[in-house]
Amino acid sequence: MERRYTVVRYFAYSLEYLLLFIIESTPGLLPEIFGGKPMLLIPAAITVALLENELPAMFFGTAAGIITDLAIGQSVGFFAFTLTVVCFFLSRIFREYMVVSFLNASAFISAVSTGLIYIYFLIFRVFSGVENALALFASHYISRIIYTIAAGIGLFFLNKAIHRGLR
Amino acid sequence: MKDFFASKNNKILTFTLVALIILAIFTAAGHNWLSTGFNALTVGLSSVTAAGSEQIHQKSYDELKEENEKLKREAADLRAKLVDYYDLKDENARLWKYYKIKKAHKDFELMPASVIRRDSADDFYSFTVDVGTASGVHAQDPVLTENGLVGFISSINGVTARVTTVLSPDLKAGARVKKTGDSGVVSGNTLYADDNLTTLTKIDANASVEKNDIIVTSGIGGVYPADLVIGKVSEIKYDEYDATKYAVIKPYEDIRNVTDVVIITDFKSKGEVAKKITEGD
Repeated sequence: MERRYTVVRYFAYSLEYLLLFIIESTPGLLPEIFGGKPMLLIPAAITVALLENELPAMFFGTAAGIITDLAIGQSVGFFAFTLTVVCFFLSRIFREYMVVSFLNASAFISAVSTGLIYIYFLIFRVFSGVENALALFASHYISRIIYTIAAGIGLFFLNKAIHRGLR
Repeated sequence: MKDFFASKNNKILTFTLVALIILAIFTAAGHNWLSTGFNALTVGLSSVTAAGSEQIHQKSYDELKEENEKLKREAADLRAKLVDYYDLKDENARLWKYYKIKKAHKDFELMPASVIRRDSADDFYSFTVDVGTASGVHAQDPVLTENGLVGFISSINGVTARVTTVLSPDLKAGARVKKTGDSGVVSGNTLYADDNLTTLTKIDANASVEKNDIIVTSGIGGVYPADLVIGKVSEIKYDEYDATKYAVIKPYEDIRNVTDVVIITDFKSKGEVAKKITEGD
């Protein structure tokens, strides 16, 4: 019975990913706030990692990363690697040392989302030589980070409900 | 290190990372079966949501209300006609634009396409269209609308293609001022992309570029056909670091909200430079 619930739960996460990808990439569906749109699959993977064991957390991190990479540039890269590693260790930290509470989850969603988007900006915008990168950061990335964190908190409650309901 | 590999989960993590490295190398080298597979699964859904979103978000409540009333009136007259009348009408409008381009440039091989995705992580309004290599589209093919050049195909798989727009610094197109023939390079700029503006750079210091001058592609390089309209000059500026002159260009098309495009899959002088180089060898 427990195994069946686990399969259904993973299926629910997969559906959630697909839905988030469609919402994120459909033109005009999500309103831009101060020039930014959220990257929904990053916080989705993080929240799954907070709730699940290491291996499923890692696999859902890998899936979210691959989808994000394919959506951005059609080749696997930055987000696939980072989300795989981050989700694996996040899950380990929360299984061994921390309690999944709203405060802890908010802190980790904020820190990891900010870190990943910022590193992406550094590698693919600053180091690749895009002119006026600072202006770009101010006009798009700050709002994108805040928007992603806000969406992440909503996704935490959604995934917590899925995890609790299908345990 | 030895302890790290003692754990089964750590071994699986390492294995997954190695698999991702192999996958990254394959996909970066142009083996886009993963992208093709993923897009083949999602393209239908994306087309539906893109079409739905277009209907919901591009019109205000008042416009929708007005349109609704108009449609109700028309519905009475059209009851006897075919049920797919509106689909045919839309398709006709789309093909009419396509026909106008084809008529003006008889050597162009064209492929109409619809925008199905806009990625939230992209800063320069690139988008994904619903045609890929299976439809005869290639990487680097120019993308336009009846109002001018929109961008080029920057990556492609079997069923979809990603378009980098003229608002992006990644696009570099040889261009000239239609009136004077002065040449330069059109490329996006971070400062202007959000306002649907791009720039004409590398202009000769003595070039006489003026406001409202029309900028077209030069055709040099064989990537873009000559004389495709890019936009008109809205401002002349000087770089704050090296004082070189550049022109801010306003495309005639709103690149940020474009929904239907046409891809030039072949034209008369396509790849001319590449051919000359090959012949020279």
